[in-house]
Amino acid sequence: MQATAEESRSAGTTASRLLRRAGTALLVAAAYYLTARLGLRLALVAENVTPVWPATGIALVAFLVLGRTVWPGVALAAFLVNLPISTDALAAGATAVGNTLAPLVAAILLQRAGLRREIDRLRDAVAIVFLGALASMLISATIGAGTLVLSDAVPAREFPAAWAVWWAGDAMGVLVVAPFLLSLLLPRERPASWPRRIEASVLFGALIAVSFAAASTGLGILFLVLPFLGWAAWRFQLRGAAPAALLAAGIASWAAADRVGPFEHGTLLDRMLTLQAFNATVAFSSLFFAAVVTDRMRARRALERAAAELEDRVRLRTSELSAAHEQLAEAQHVAHVGSWEWLIPENRVSWSDEMYRIHGYRPQEFPVTFEKAIELVVDEDMARIRRNVEAAFDRGRDQDLPGNEYRIVLADGSERVLLGKARLQVGPGGKPLRMVGTVHDTTEEKQAEREHRIAETLQRSLLPDRLPEIPGVALSARYVPATTDMEVGGDWYDVVQLPNGHVGLAIGDVAGHGLRAASTMGQLRMSLRAYALEEDSPAAVVRRVHGLVNRLHLPEIVTLVYVVFDPDSGAIRFANAGHPPPLLIAPNGEARYLEDALAPPVGAVIEEHYVDGTANLASGSTLVLFTDGLVERRGISIAEGLARLVDEAANGTNDLEAFCDRVLASLVGNQVADDIALLAVRPVPLTVALHLRVAAEPHVLASLRRTIRRWLREMNVEPESANDTLIACGEALANVIQHAYGAGDGAIELDLTLADGSVDVTVRDHGRWRPPSGAEGGRGLDLARGLMDRVEVDPGPHGTVVRMRRRVRA
Amino acid sequence: MSDLARVRSEQQGPLFVVCVEGEVDLSNALEMASAIEGAMPDDATELVVDLTDTAYLDSSGVGLLVRLAERLRHRRRRLQLVVPAGSPIRVALELCGIPQIVPMATRLEELRPEAEPGWSSPGSGASVGREEPGR
Repeated sequence: MQATAEESRSAGTTASRLLRRAGTALLVAAAYYLTARLGLRLALVAENVTPVWPATGIALVAFLVLGRTVWPGVALAAFLVNLPISTDALAAGATAVGNTLAPLVAAILLQRAGLRREIDRLRDAVAIVFLGALASMLISATIGAGTLVLSDAVPAREFPAAWAVWWAGDAMGVLVVAPFLLSLLLPRERPASWPRRIEASVLFGALIAVSFAAASTGLGILFLVLPFLGWAAWRFQLRGAAPAALLAAGIASWAAADRVGPFEHGTLLDRMLTLQAFNATVAFSSLFFAAVVTDRMRARRALERAAAELEDRVRLRTSELSAAHEQLAEAQHVAHVGSWEWLIPENRVSWSDEMYRIHGYRPQEFPVTFEKAIELVVDEDMARIRRNVEAAFDRGRDQDLPGNEYRIVLADGSERVLLGKARLQVGPGGKPLRMVGTVHDTTEEKQAEREHRIAETLQRSLLPDRLPEIPGVALSARYVPATTDMEVGGDWYDVVQLPNGHVGLAIGDVAGHGLRAASTMGQLRMSLRAYALEEDSPAAVVRRVHGLVNRLHLPEIVTLVYVVFDPDSGAIRFANAGHPPPLLIAPNGEARYLEDALAPPVGAVIEEHYVDGTANLASGSTLVLFTDGLVERRGISIAEGLARLVDEAANGTNDLEAFCDRVLASLVGNQVADDIALLAVRPVPLTVALHLRVAAEPHVLASLRRTIRRWLREMNVEPESANDTLIACGEALANVIQHAYGAGDGAIELDLTLADGSVDVTVRDHGRWRPPSGAEGGRGLDLARGLMDRVEVDPGPHGTVVRMRRRVRA
Repeated sequence: MSDLARVRSEQQGPLFVVCVEGEVDLSNALEMASAIEGAMPDDATELVVDLTDTAYLDSSGVGLLVRLAERLRHRRRRLQLVVPAGSPIRVALELCGIPQIVPMATRLEELRPEAEPGWSSPGSGASVGREEPGR
């Protein structure tokens, strides 16, 4: 069922297609027949040789436009037209074959030649004239005229005339009718303007009038129509030229057929030749002219389009460029970078706007020369610039000049620091042609850099270069600047060795950053050191710092903790001015914060409330002082931070350095939001080999004695030997302090060791040995000799070494 | 004033006693010398420097005592020292020959204002000092 339906449908489609094709063929046949009948009315030779055979034109256009399948229509019509005027059906058939074949061949040739139906190129016009008309129509003329002769319709001697008329008529059909029909098929243009319509009416009116006039007088003035054909072709191209040619040729053909005007005399062949010559001229001229004009117009339009496009692109580029230029100028302004170009032979310098601004001028205020460009440069820098430029010229090749920092003084007297970079381009023979460069105004950067450097220096002065070496006391400190802020911070720590052998430990935090905070910090650190030497009680020290802050009216809030630690007893006393409390870690890792003795930050209130807190830092215990940066982080409360520090303490504090590193790693990580200062201290046993290095100043003696006593005690040296050794050491040390360095500063090194039941003492200086003088002069060393088993003095060019030994009972 | 040592003084019967508490070394010897002399009234002739509470005394301290004794002798005033038997500074004083220059008792109570035989002459004290030039 289904197959049957499909078949019937496809059969139906095929049938309808055939039907449509047959209909088209029939329409073509009808048109061919009618125009052929029209043409035959002008028949000149027998009844079927006519100078105008528009049917051929119709057949050609039908083949070109509708396809070659319409040939049966053409053949049928040609047969029907020729049947009544031929001697028999065979002759009519032969003629019809010729009449069908000629346009078919013409269509094939034209399509092969790539004809455009618009006939808007010269080659289209040439193809229609030579291939479509003159060549192809040889077929129909030869077959038609031959048939006439063979069927005895005309005598053999008339063959040339019959052939010529036939050929000319068919050719005219192609030349005059085909372009006209094709012009009708042109795509619609927009409605013509009124002036154009009037022009077209005048043109065709004049053409018709002139054509009739020329064709009806005996004067040979047919050529008068040519200007009008030119007009039509020039102004209206194929749309005008094709109908004009049709009109002119039609009128001429009518005149030729009716033997009027120029065609009144002469033989048939003469008249045909005249007519053909005229029609050919008309057809050629109008087709060629129209094609050439169209060609030109198209070229012009293409050119105009290209020009318009180019213009658009130029406009776009220009706006892009100007935007880029603006952007560049803005960028230069923001970066304080100006650019310049120096055309050396002309000594013309062009400056970017920013160059003018950097030099304190309005942009493009005046034209610049090299001299003008370096006018503001300070003298010593100007000399260098000239030297650099001359050296570059001398080298005579393309090169980058060395970067050059120089100063200029503006009209208002202010000074700027500029960083110049330049490149030289040379011409043939190394002749300097052009130099381009940039100038960077680094004044502000330099200023910021200088301030930063000052702040950094200050910062360094705030923190101890290195922690003092205190026998029996392990110290470790860390300072971690904030990573988010390039400025120096306001945290500090300090360790002060007090005259009584105690150790002062301070940590503090000045709110804020930068030069100001740093300088406040510096003042406070130094004043605290001074007060620490004068005052015994930590609260008294903090009280005096408080007084200073109040007197100086420092606006910053300052918190600090000051601790005094006695290494001998392990006692600590501390005062806290609004600072995070110190953490005391017992040897077993248990930790507690020393939260008493807490008072407001220094300078925060007028009255002071500082009191001493006390605790004991037994051997193996650790005290940790820190600033809030350690325990305060984004997303973590201080309480949590404090708890984490306690947790970390439980992991052991034996190695103080490692402990500090671990605390920082675990509590802080890589991102440091605020500066961190950390100071840890713990009493440690003295080593069997004790080494001390101190300044050779009288006030160190007491603390040295304390250390020596402690060492002797820890080494279990019995009291009498210990006392003798202590006094001998004191004498040797005092001797260095008194004599070795004169008025200059120097150091003493003291080494104590216990080996084989003997204490060995070495006191070393790097000064000059002076022999004892006077009654008292030698008393010290004599005393030492009396107390020790052996005393050797070894004066050398680079210092003196005193070696002493005493047997002890351990 | 450094807190390394300090001076306390009182009149005890015929004796004017200056107690030196703390440590005396190069750093405070001059200071102590003037403190001790400053504490002594001009009219006191029997003077005692009590070193019972002196924990440390080095050769500059010894020198200070020697010079003090000499100056007082020139003014016809007498200086005596008190140094307990177990004092850590005793050995230094003895090694320096101080007992030969300045009368030295182990306790204040042992001292008498009256000159004892062999102690009276200022000249003899000075000669002893010269004969024993700092061992």
